[in-house]
Amino acid sequence: MSGTDSDGVYVESTIIMTTVRVIAPFVFTFGLFVMFHGADSAGGGFQGGVLVAAAVLLLAFAFGIDSTRAWLAGPLTRTAVAGGGAAFAFIGLGAVALDGAFLEYVAYDFGSTGVKYGIELVELGIGAVVSGVLVGLFFSLASGDFTLPAGDAGDDEGDAATSGGEES
Amino acid sequence: MTSEAIVLAAVLTFSVLGAAAAIFLRDVLNAIIAFAAFSFGIATVWVLLAAPDVALTEAAVGAGITTVFFLVTIAKTVRPGGERLFERIEWRSVAVVAILSGALLATVGSLPAVGAADAPVATSPVTEYYLDNAYSETGVKNAVTAVLAAYRGFDTFGEATVVISAGVAVLLVLRQEAYV
Repeated sequence: MSGTDSDGVYVESTIIMTTVRVIAPFVFTFGLFVMFHGADSAGGGFQGGVLVAAAVLLLAFAFGIDSTRAWLAGPLTRTAVAGGGAAFAFIGLGAVALDGAFLEYVAYDFGSTGVKYGIELVELGIGAVVSGVLVGLFFSLASGDFTLPAGDAGDDEGDAATSGGEES
Repeated sequence: MTSEAIVLAAVLTFSVLGAAAAIFLRDVLNAIIAFAAFSFGIATVWVLLAAPDVALTEAAVGAGITTVFFLVTIAKTVRPGGERLFERIEWRSVAVVAILSGALLATVGSLPAVGAADAPVATSPVTEYYLDNAYSETGVKNAVTAVLAAYRGFDTFGEATVVISAGVAVLLVLRQEAYV
């Protein structure tokens, strides 16, 4: 619990690395399954996106936050967030362009399964947004600026701090 | 008591114990683990109440991701010293919690029984319309998804917007210049 860099929490462990190496692909695949299969069983974009993000968090815990962050470097995460949101919006607005209401999938006229594919595309967009935001939140929290003003840190056991803290 | 009721009672007891442990344990790490156990118990309750979509969300978000976020956050803080296992009880907080819990518990008497056929949500014409038409109109086999992504798609679009806004807001609060 010491150290100010984001890898201060990281402990290299063969057991954790081996376990995560086995489990992470299954978690990732299950996340995609929940996302894709939300139309026909329990789940959907939100739940699937969280599971996909959980797979990335597992890797970060096993192999170090900074190295995972470097591995994901580049526009991948923000593209997922922006692209997922844009896909959702364009599917909705496309229906408006085709004389339907917002997100009225029937307007696309793709036959009997058209509505289902529309719903699945929207679920995928939601999944991309949720997984991207959660991965970004995690890395932001892990390396965020948590520096307190001088004197505020570490005195929560002191008597002066408890008597002063009760006012707020 | 049916076997289902016994299982539900056991899981609810586990959840309440987990919640109590999360409140009273002094060490934040212990409290976080107890909170994850509480979330897991609640997720099981959703499964027993035949709400698998909610259960998946509770298990993945409450027991999974939130726990990791809490852990990452306390790794940045200072753990309190001392050997005490339990937190000191603040009676003013207890009074506030008692008032809030009392107000919430007072409404329980007017809720319909679990699975009651005459519950307002079961007899509502909206529910009837969804259950009668969701499968044929959307072609999906999960009525919950049909409601979320088709009938109430605009609401879901708002939710996705909230998630994106939260991500942007965290960047601003944590003063990060780049996203990942």
